[in-house]
Amino acid sequence: MNLIIEMNKWLMTTNLSHAIAGRQPWIWPLCETLHFIGLALLIGCIGVLDLRMLGVAKDMSIHSIHKFVPWGIAGFILNLITGITFYIGAPFQYVHNFAFQMKLLFIAIAGFNVMYFYLGGVLHKVEALGPGANPPLSAKIVSLVSIVMWFGVLYWGRMLPFVGNAF
Amino acid sequence: MHEFYSWVESLAFSTWIRESGSLWSYPIVLTLHTMGLAILVGFNWAVDFRLLGFGETVPLSSMAKYFPVMWFGFWINLFSGIILLMADATTKMTSWVFGVKMIFIVIGMIVLRKIQVKVFHSIDQKDKLSYISPDAKVLAMVSLVCWVMATTAGRLMAYLGPQVGLTGPQIK
Repeated sequence: MNLIIEMNKWLMTTNLSHAIAGRQPWIWPLCETLHFIGLALLIGCIGVLDLRMLGVAKDMSIHSIHKFVPWGIAGFILNLITGITFYIGAPFQYVHNFAFQMKLLFIAIAGFNVMYFYLGGVLHKVEALGPGANPPLSAKIVSLVSIVMWFGVLYWGRMLPFVGNAF
Repeated sequence: MHEFYSWVESLAFSTWIRESGSLWSYPIVLTLHTMGLAILVGFNWAVDFRLLGFGETVPLSSMAKYFPVMWFGFWINLFSGIILLMADATTKMTSWVFGVKMIFIVIGMIVLRKIQVKVFHSIDQKDKLSYISPDAKVLAMVSLVCWVMATTAGRLMAYLGPQVGLTGPQIK
């Protein structure tokens, strides 16, 4: 924790941090806008795969709807970049913020879920399924966890100003 | 009109949403509004990408199942949006940024309905990887842009134009 606080103190001395925090007043609103575009991309383009694995639109193969995932990943990367930008601009409004800590925890769980999907053999199982096939329970659990976690990340993000005091 | 907006704003419910400080008032409504946005805009973008030629192995006809999902997002946001509007009626009804947002939402929803009726209802059921007309591609492009603009305008309401009396965190 001390190391993080030292790093935050150093961050706040940088020109980049000053620029983000308001010296360039357009950076923060621009990043907020991109952050929302990214979250919609993530939830929509991962959501189509999640819903398919839960049984919505069964006549598409999981292999084909899986092609939308790169758009969701693009949304995640956009949000990672803009999120890091917010942090650099005002690290201390996040580091002690309970909502921020919960947001990171939910992102981590969502991340492990993704790893389990790709490395735990779930994708391999469902990709072999044709249109109309019912996915195994493991795939349904992964989808449910994905939906709950990403909406949870959104919830904690939205709560940053209310639970903590981030702007 | 201004008196009407002031009256709406002064209602006990509007005041509670705006001033109670409870997580169940303004914060939850705002969160629902963001969730509805993600559902409506996110799934609509997925359909737009498909119409623009992405993921061509996904049968277009099966994507029809996403329309109820998008409408679900829309109803959440209409409902939560009205509550947010009631809480700050005088500010939002005089904000040009809010006006811009509304214009793009109206166009976006008309286009969504057009895609649903004109493109999806005319899919050849035998040819599920259906041919997509140039008109459908134009609709998809307009839809994509409208939601970028509506989201941008919505977000910028916290920074441009008249601001809510509350300063700082509440409005962002």
